[in-house]
Amino acid sequence: MNRPKADEDRELVARTQAGDPHAFDELVIKYSPRLYGLVYNMTANHEDTNDLLQDVFAKAYKAIRGFRGKSSFYTWIHSIAVNMTLNFLKKRGRRFHMSLDDVDAGIQSDKEFLQLTARSSPVREADLSELQKRLNEAMMKLSDEHRAVVTMFHIQGMPHAEISKILKVSEGTVRSRLFYANRQLQNYLDEFRKNPVS
Amino acid sequence: MDEFDDKEIATLLRLKRHEQPPPGYFEDFLHEFHRRQRDELLRQPLWRICLGRANEFMFRLNLSRLTSYPAAVAAVLVCAAIVSVRVYQEPQRANFAARQQTTFNLSAETEAGLSLASPVAARIFSTKPLRSSKSGHTHPRNSGTPPRYVLDSVPVSYEPTVRF
Repeated sequence: MNRPKADEDRELVARTQAGDPHAFDELVIKYSPRLYGLVYNMTANHEDTNDLLQDVFAKAYKAIRGFRGKSSFYTWIHSIAVNMTLNFLKKRGRRFHMSLDDVDAGIQSDKEFLQLTARSSPVREADLSELQKRLNEAMMKLSDEHRAVVTMFHIQGMPHAEISKILKVSEGTVRSRLFYANRQLQNYLDEFRKNPVS
Repeated sequence: MDEFDDKEIATLLRLKRHEQPPPGYFEDFLHEFHRRQRDELLRQPLWRICLGRANEFMFRLNLSRLTSYPAAVAAVLVCAAIVSVRVYQEPQRANFAARQQTTFNLSAETEAGLSLASPVAARIFSTKPLRSSKSGHTHPRNSGTPPRYVLDSVPVSYEPTVRF
């Protein structure tokens, strides 16, 4: 399933390396939505995400001649995005404000969302915007590294092996970070359940 | 269920996929990317642009790959030339020649000494030194002593030494 995609990427990379700028445009079109989601969920700010994503592609374009295909282009570009975002977050520190995107209308027909709101759960009581705000607050209380793992695993749906390649850590480290982050998120959201209004 | 379990947290996080940028954002993203690339290019000094173009040209030609084999061959030839020059240096050649000459002299004298045509007595008293003190092969301590005559080369024989 991934083979044709990988072949397609390889061909686009080869064309870019040969000097065809349109090939890189195709890579930008292909990867920008996915990378946007990754950076956005790590920064929780739309403007920062936009600037970072532009920088990620500019850096990738400059460095693509040195890309020898030892890993897939997918892994390579994700590594650039994660590393640049982590560096940015270190510089930004705690001084930031959330600038969240709107939830698209598609959520109303999402099966998981319907199941979650149908059951007797704390989610049912909270309206959607409040829940989004709380979840993002909880996410931002995690360390940058833990947030990166949560974003890639839960939101982007990447397997542990892929995350370990991108972050250049072992799969065990990825699993332990996920476990710790889940516990943290659980604690923050439980507080929300106890005090839904505050 | 009063508490959020792992499954619910995972589901909530997956729902964050629905947080999307304004419509048309990704269409504009590519134009913005091109605009920033152009701006960056214009801000660069001329020499850097030229260097970049030259780099690009070299990369397209793939000169590094083309030149690698001739460069390797040239390196091997240079090394071989250096080694051969050292091997056939002047002092070593002179030594070798001197040694060769000594060997030739020695063999000639030995042949003369062992010739069957000459009588044994004559051979015994033909006390020509095989090595002269002038040849420089004597020990420095023996430089003052008379030249050493080598008689060992005469074969042992029971023939009568005097003929009537």
